[in-house]
Amino acid sequence: MALMVLKTMEAMGPLHGYGIARRIEQISGDRLSLNYGSIYPALLRLEQERAIVSEWGMSENNRKAKYYRLTAAGRKQLKQETADWEEASAIVARFLAAKESL
Amino acid sequence: MKTLWRVWARVTGLFRKNWRDREMAQEFESHLQMHIDDNIRAGMSPEQARREALVKFGGMEAAKESVRRTSRLLWIETAARDVRYALRGLRLNPGFATTAVLSLTLGIGASVAIYTVADNLLLRPLPYPDAKQLVMLYEVNQPRAVRHNVISPANYFDWKAQSSAFSSIGGFFDFHIILGDGKRTEEVDAQAVSGEVLPALRVQPIRGRIFTPQEDKDDAHVAVISYRLWQNWFGGDDAVIGRQLQVNSQPCTVIGVLPPDFYFNTRTSDIWLTLGLNPSENLRKTQGRWMWAVARLKPGVSLKQARAEMTGIAQRLEIAYPEFNKGWGVNVEPLRDSFVGEAKTSLMVLLGAVTLLLCVACANVANLLLARYSTRRREMAVRGALGAARGRLIRQLLTESVILGLAGGISGVVLAYFAVAGLVELAPRDLTRSVQITFDLRIVLFAFLLSVVTSIIFGLAPSIMASHGDLNRGLHEESRTSTGSGSRMRRWLVVLEIACSVALMAGAGLLFRSLVGLQNVDPGMDARNVLSFRVTLPTQHYKEPQKKIDFFAQAADKLSQLPGVRSSSATSYVPLNGIGAATGVKISGQPPAKPGEEFVATIRTVLPGYFRTMGIPLKRGRDFNAADDVESTPHRFIVSEAFVRQFLRDEEPIGKQISAEMDKENPFGEIVGVVGDVRDKTLDNEPTPTVYYIHSHLSYGEMVFVLRAENDAMSLADPARKVINGMDPELPVSQVRTMETVIRQTFASQQFSAVLLGGFSLASLLLAAVGIYGLLAYSVTQRTREIGVRIALGAEPRTITRMVVASGARMVIIGAAAGLAAALALSGLMKSLLFGIGPRDPLTFIAAPAVFVVVALVAAYVPARRAARVSPMEALRAE
Repeated sequence: MALMVLKTMEAMGPLHGYGIARRIEQISGDRLSLNYGSIYPALLRLEQERAIVSEWGMSENNRKAKYYRLTAAGRKQLKQETADWEEASAIVARFLAAKESL
Repeated sequence: MKTLWRVWARVTGLFRKNWRDREMAQEFESHLQMHIDDNIRAGMSPEQARREALVKFGGMEAAKESVRRTSRLLWIETAARDVRYALRGLRLNPGFATTAVLSLTLGIGASVAIYTVADNLLLRPLPYPDAKQLVMLYEVNQPRAVRHNVISPANYFDWKAQSSAFSSIGGFFDFHIILGDGKRTEEVDAQAVSGEVLPALRVQPIRGRIFTPQEDKDDAHVAVISYRLWQNWFGGDDAVIGRQLQVNSQPCTVIGVLPPDFYFNTRTSDIWLTLGLNPSENLRKTQGRWMWAVARLKPGVSLKQARAEMTGIAQRLEIAYPEFNKGWGVNVEPLRDSFVGEAKTSLMVLLGAVTLLLCVACANVANLLLARYSTRRREMAVRGALGAARGRLIRQLLTESVILGLAGGISGVVLAYFAVAGLVELAPRDLTRSVQITFDLRIVLFAFLLSVVTSIIFGLAPSIMASHGDLNRGLHEESRTSTGSGSRMRRWLVVLEIACSVALMAGAGLLFRSLVGLQNVDPGMDARNVLSFRVTLPTQHYKEPQKKIDFFAQAADKLSQLPGVRSSSATSYVPLNGIGAATGVKISGQPPAKPGEEFVATIRTVLPGYFRTMGIPLKRGRDFNAADDVESTPHRFIVSEAFVRQFLRDEEPIGKQISAEMDKENPFGEIVGVVGDVRDKTLDNEPTPTVYYIHSHLSYGEMVFVLRAENDAMSLADPARKVINGMDPELPVSQVRTMETVIRQTFASQQFSAVLLGGFSLASLLLAAVGIYGLLAYSVTQRTREIGVRIALGAEPRTITRMVVASGARMVIIGAAAGLAAALALSGLMKSLLFGIGPRDPLTFIAAPAVFVVVALVAAYVPARRAARVSPMEALRAE
C-alpha cells in the first residue's frame, strides 16, 4: 500500500486522500477494489515517517481538502522500496519459472 | 530513523488527541463530499451518490479507530490507565499502602544512606586529576608488623634518587601552628609539604601561586592558604597575596590560595608551609622516622611494578644502613586505600547489613502484596475470563508495586538525606577525616534505580501468582480454603525475613559484645573527672628551653590552685589519642642489641604529678619531683611495668641506667620509679613498654595539660583557659576534652558499626514480626470457619492457640536456623571489628535467635488468641 501511495504521488504531484485512492483504483484497471477508508492509516504512517507532508487546500471543485505532498525523504524511500519490490518479485518470478521447468 | 520519527510523532500525538480527531473528521467529510460530487457528476441521484460513497469508504468507525491507533503510543496510555487504577486501589486500602511504603522507606532509606557513605569513600574518584596514579609510600616495620609507619627523611631522599617508577615523590606531615596577623592569633591546622606534593596532586591555586621546589629547599617563609581561611579570616580579599603573617611568631608571606574543595590527607588543613628538608645533612644521624610520603606513578607504570622496584630499593637500603634500616621495608599503597583505611571493613559489613534489611523489607511487602492479591483472585479470574491477557494483568499488578516502590524510594531518599548528616556526625574521625561525604544527584539516581528494581523483585512473583488464571478455582473462591501456592510462598517469605533478621541480629550482637568488652578494658588509668587540653608555645617567643620549662611548670602550678582541681600536670601526648613517639632504648650493663632486635619503647614527657593526676598507680620508687624538673640535674627516668617485664627480665629496676635515642646526645640516666601499664593507641592493643622523661630533659613547645577535678571536669575548661591566657594572652588553648571522651574516641568505629547494625537489626526484627503477625492473622481469618467447627466439636481454646502458635513457630525455627547458618558463614568477615570474642561467639549465637524467638512468638500469640476466641456460631454464619 505504501509503495502504491508513494508511486501515485510521484506521478500526480500533491493530491488529497480521495484522489489517491481513486487513482490507485484506476491504475489497477479497477482490478484492485479497496476500501477508500483504509488509505488514511497508511497516509498517517507515511506522514509520521516524514515521507510525505500534508496541508489543507482547495480542490478543483472548490472543496476544502487535505493535500499530501512527497518530500525528498519520501522520494528516496520510494526508490528504495521500488528496488526492493522489484528484486522480490524477480526472485519470485524466477522461482516460479524454475518450478515450471521441472 | 524512520522508526524514531514515528515514535516522536506518536508521543506528540498523545497531547493533541482532540485536535487530531477533529482534523480526521474534517478530512473524512471532505473525502465523502468529493466522492459524492463525482458520483453526482457520473449521473447518480444524490441519495444514491451518498450511499455509494459510504460503501466505497468502508467502515467509517473502523477507519477512525485504525487512524487513532496509528497516531498514538498505545502503551503509554495503557500505563497511565494502570497508574490511575493502581492509585485508586491503594487509596482504597490505606493501611496496606502505608505499611508497604513504610517498610520500603526503611529499607531503601537505610540502603541509600549507607551507600552514600560507601560511594563517597570507596567508589568516587578522589578529587585529584588522574587520582588512580597517586600512592602513599610507608615504611614497614617487619618485626612489629606495622605496615603504615611514618618514614625517615633520609630514606625518603634515597627513594627519590633510586626509583624510576614515579614522576614525583613528595614528603609531608600534618601539624598545627599559631597563626597571627598582628591583631588576631589562632591555632590553625597546617600541613608541611615538600615542593613536589602540590604539583603531584595537580592542584591549581585560584589566587597567586604554589611553592617552587627551590623555595621548599630554602625553607623560604612562604605559605599557601585554604579557601576557607581566605574567606573566614581575610574576607576573600585579593590583597591577601603578598601579605605578611606570623606563623609561630615567624614572618611568613602568603603566596597563594587553593580552591575551595581542595584537601589532602586531612580535611582540616588551612595552611600549607614548606617542609624545608636539607638532603645534604646526615638525616639518619639527626632524625628518626616522622613524616609521610605521597607519590605519583609515571604513566603506564603499574602498582605492581612500583612495589617491586621499591622492595628492591628497601632491601638495598637495609644492607647499606643496617643499624638504621634492619627489619624495615616499604609499602606502596593506593591513595584511596590509605584514606579509607580501616573504615573499609566497617563499611562492607554495613553494606551487607543494609542489603539484608532491604531483603526483609522486600519480603515483607511481597508478603503484603500476596495477601492483598489473594483477596483479589476472583477479580483477576473474572478479568481473565473476559479476555484480559495474562501479561496485561501482570503488568497492571506490577504497576502497583512500582508505585509503592517509588513512593518508598522518595521517602527513603528524604530519610537517607537526614540519615547521612547524622551518620557523618556519628562517624568515627578516621571515616570522614580524609574524604568528604556529599549527597547528590548520583545518589538520587541510585535510589531511583534501587526502588524500581526492588519493586520488580517484590512485585513480580506475587503478580505472576495472582494472575495465574485458574478460572474455575478463582470464581469458586468463596470456599475460602487457603489456596496452595500463594500461602506456601508467603510462609517462605516470612522464613526469609526471619533468617535475614536473625543473621543481622547475630552481627549486631557480636559488635555490641565487642563494644562492651572494649568499654570494660582497664586502660591502666582512672579517666573519670580528668580534663585535658593542649597549649602550644610559639617557638619564637619561647626559644630558650628554660623559658618553656618555666612556663609549663608555672602553669601546672597555677592550674592546681584553681578551686575544684585536685591536681594538675602535663604530658607530651595523652594516652589513647592516636599519636605518640617511640624510639630505641639502651640498658647499661647489657650488650648492645643486634640490628633489628633493639628495644623500642614509647616515650612520654611529663611534669611532676602526672601519674597522680591520671590515676596511674606508682608501683615502685618515686614520682618525679620539682627538683628533677631542672635542666642541670642528671637524667632520671620512670618506666612502665611492661618495660621491666620485657627489657629488664624482671630484675630490680630502681637504679638501673638507661638511655633513649631522642636527641643528638642521650646520656644514661637512672630509673627512679616504676608505674602501671597504660594502654596506648587503642584499647585492644597490649600496653607497650614506656619510658617517661621529665619535661626539663625533653622539653616540648607543646604540651597537653591534665587536670583532675573534684567532680565535673568539663566545668574547669573556662577557668583553665583564663589561667593560661592570664599568663600569655596570645596562647591558644585547644582540644579541650575530658579523658573519657578521648578514650571513647578510640572505639568510635566499633561504636559506629554497633549502633548502626543494632538499629538495622531492630528495624528488621520489627518488620519480620509484622510479617509473622500479618501472615498468621490472615490465615486465622481464612480459617475462621474451620476453627469454628473445631471449637463446636469441643476443641479447647488452648488447643486452638497452640495450633496457631505452632504453625508460626515452625517458620521461626526454620528461619532462625537458616539465619544462624548464614551468620556463622559470614561472621568471619567481621573478625577485624571484634574484640575479646571470636566471630563464632557462642553467647551471641544463642542469644540472637533466642531474642528473636521470643518476639516472634509474641507476634504469633496475638492472632492465636483471636483464633481461640472465635465463637463457633458466628464463624459458621460468617459466609
